[in-house]
Amino acid sequence: MDLRFSEQDEDFRKELRSWLDANLPSEMREAAFWADKSDDESFEIRREWEANKAKDGFAGIVWPEEYGGRGGTPTMKAIYDEEMAKANAPSTVNPLGLAFLGPTVMALGTDYQKREIIKPLLHNEVIWCQGFSEPGAGSDLAALQMKAEPQGEDYLINGQKIWTTNAMHGDKIFTLARTSSPEGGKKHAGISMLLVDMHQPGIEARPLKQMTGASEFGEVFYTDALCKQTDILGGEGNGWATAMLLLSFERGSSAIGQYTEFRKMWEEVTNVAAQVERDGRPATEDPVLRQELAAALIELECLKYHSWHVLTQTSNGKDLGFEASMTKIMWSETFRRVSDAHEKVVGTAFQVPELGQGLSIEELTTMAMWSRSCTIWGGSQQVQRTVVAERVLGLPR
Amino acid sequence: MQFQLTDEQRALQDAVRSYLRDRFSATQVREFYEQPESDGAPAPLWQALGEQGWLAVLVPEEQDGIGLGVLDAAVLAREFGAGTVPGPWLGTVLAGEAIRLTGSKEQQAERLPALAAGETKGAVALVKQGSTPVPTSAPATSSGGTLSGSLGLVEYPELADVLVVAAQDGLYLIDPKGAGVTVTPTTALDRTVRLGTVTLDGAAGERLEGSTPELVQRLLDTAAVLVANDLVGIARRALVDTVEYDKTRVQFGKPVGSFQAIKHDLADLHIAITFAEHAATYAAYALDEQRPDAQLAASIAKAKASDAADTATAAMIQYHGGIGYTWEHHAHFYFKRCKRLQASYGDAAQHRERIAQLVIDAPGTQDEVTGVNPGGSSGVQGSGVAAGAAAS
Repeated sequence: MDLRFSEQDEDFRKELRSWLDANLPSEMREAAFWADKSDDESFEIRREWEANKAKDGFAGIVWPEEYGGRGGTPTMKAIYDEEMAKANAPSTVNPLGLAFLGPTVMALGTDYQKREIIKPLLHNEVIWCQGFSEPGAGSDLAALQMKAEPQGEDYLINGQKIWTTNAMHGDKIFTLARTSSPEGGKKHAGISMLLVDMHQPGIEARPLKQMTGASEFGEVFYTDALCKQTDILGGEGNGWATAMLLLSFERGSSAIGQYTEFRKMWEEVTNVAAQVERDGRPATEDPVLRQELAAALIELECLKYHSWHVLTQTSNGKDLGFEASMTKIMWSETFRRVSDAHEKVVGTAFQVPELGQGLSIEELTTMAMWSRSCTIWGGSQQVQRTVVAERVLGLPR
Repeated sequence: MQFQLTDEQRALQDAVRSYLRDRFSATQVREFYEQPESDGAPAPLWQALGEQGWLAVLVPEEQDGIGLGVLDAAVLAREFGAGTVPGPWLGTVLAGEAIRLTGSKEQQAERLPALAAGETKGAVALVKQGSTPVPTSAPATSSGGTLSGSLGLVEYPELADVLVVAAQDGLYLIDPKGAGVTVTPTTALDRTVRLGTVTLDGAAGERLEGSTPELVQRLLDTAAVLVANDLVGIARRALVDTVEYDKTRVQFGKPVGSFQAIKHDLADLHIAITFAEHAATYAAYALDEQRPDAQLAASIAKAKASDAADTATAAMIQYHGGIGYTWEHHAHFYFKRCKRLQASYGDAAQHRERIAQLVIDAPGTQDEVTGVNPGGSSGVQGSGVAAGAAAS
């Protein structure tokens, strides 16, 4: 048992902190800065800020140096996540590209793909979307129907994708389509992962408004859209295996960034509780709400311990395998516990942006609503539970 | 970053596992269960605890102990929970720890070697029944060196050679067979323990001079953390046995473990137990290293372990179906032991209230080493307490 980080890791933390001190203006750390900006405006600010961060070497922390990354350890990535969350730094505009596409291209891409994709991705010159879900293929991803038919040197693509994060800002999309009929009715066969330019007449992206009012995702319609037959990642007909490999790159994630963010949220909920009256006293003195806040804190601290466990495993070179599904359930459920506490603390005032004396609860309320999505996207809680039961506990299918 | 047991601690874990597998497995537990009139401490088991050094784990080497930490004791507690092991191990270890923490050199020299060897047995009465484990919940009252009070549900009072009792002004050693002490045994639902009420009526007490409220609190936190580890041992075994059974029990032409109603519940349970295991491990380590959040960690561990074991032992009965409700099946061993321990040294709700006191009422005093400052909402203070840098 040793909870210290190495000297090298701590040096990295200092370096990152001083970069943030110098390059993240204090106003950008406040919710008010972002409140009056449109989706487009804030996206462009984040895109530029993040590109500069990459230029200074604080991107692709665990990516090899040959691909423009930092060649760091999983612990350094955890420190990066923690410090970014602590500093209220803007979240990445290229999340799917960084988390999934980059590592997959490094593993399976051609030399041409490596050269053309990785560096522009890291520097936000190209924003990547992920086109997996369809209206009829959500949790059952292999039910996807989008077709890509050969036409000369190209594929002609027709179909629809949905829940596409950054649909309105994307430059390119890595997407799953059927390039041949499933053999013998095996629905996982005949799928390919295509790399498609979103700036073409055959592609139309439409925003989807979320329950928060924001439009962070959208729909993408393909009507005779084109991509070159060489723009396949992982080989024709290998799309399912490529997608599974791609999704596996999230496995080493420690959730320390989520912990830091949700712990801050808990502190804010508690601050609000101290200023909310309930039965003639502050809500922090209400015995039931105290139980609620403490219960959320217990889950938070356990999430932190679990992140230490994940980091221990990854630093020792162990693959977490399907334990990763547990980490997703853990952080998203913990997020909901904190959100539940907020909802209970403010009561009817959940309806309004401010609680007297200019105390804004708008951001907390938006987060509480956002927490409802985190148990759906990236594999719903029910799918993840099945994975944990079958792959971790070994229960029969 | 190595959040895991050391090689030595794993070796200890292997040793106790293989001892229990070979010498005190489910068969012996069942035989023991059918002897409720026995003294509750099977002689070969007690002898082995002494010989293996498992009673000496927290006793310093100068008093013939092996001078390890709470985390090492926690490794043992967890295996004893998993095996529903009977006997006054916890009372003996806690009595020794009380003397180590707060006794004089003479008291330590006189008492600790015999406790470490298992030649004498200990019992403790540190909190009033139903109270949160804090120093102000002392069950006895002292007056001029003698003690009075009714100490309910003391573990193994009849077997104990020395009883550690908390009074309003600190800890005392009592001879359970001495004048002014009456021990009344009570039948316990959990047959892996023996319980009794100890009535003190002007009993002579030998004061542990160093027993400050801080050290009494540390002892109470140690007790809560060891019990939390017993509980996670119970919870994990309850889950593992249930999963094994549901893989093979066939209904509607399929193993019942293939049904999602069961699968999802067991997946949630696995996650809750994993959290509880981490918390029970960290809390023991935090006590050993005297980390600033040691008290918070103890309450997190006890609350989480109590809840996880409560759910796990109930699920064990439910997901075994009718057989799980029978006397012949061992599910009730786990269920009953869990009921006893989940409320010992504070139940989940009491520890959650204590967490609220530590973090909401007095922010900053229990700041966890890695995280943000409680009370500060922006999280940008860059307090200089780098993650883990303050860990010793």
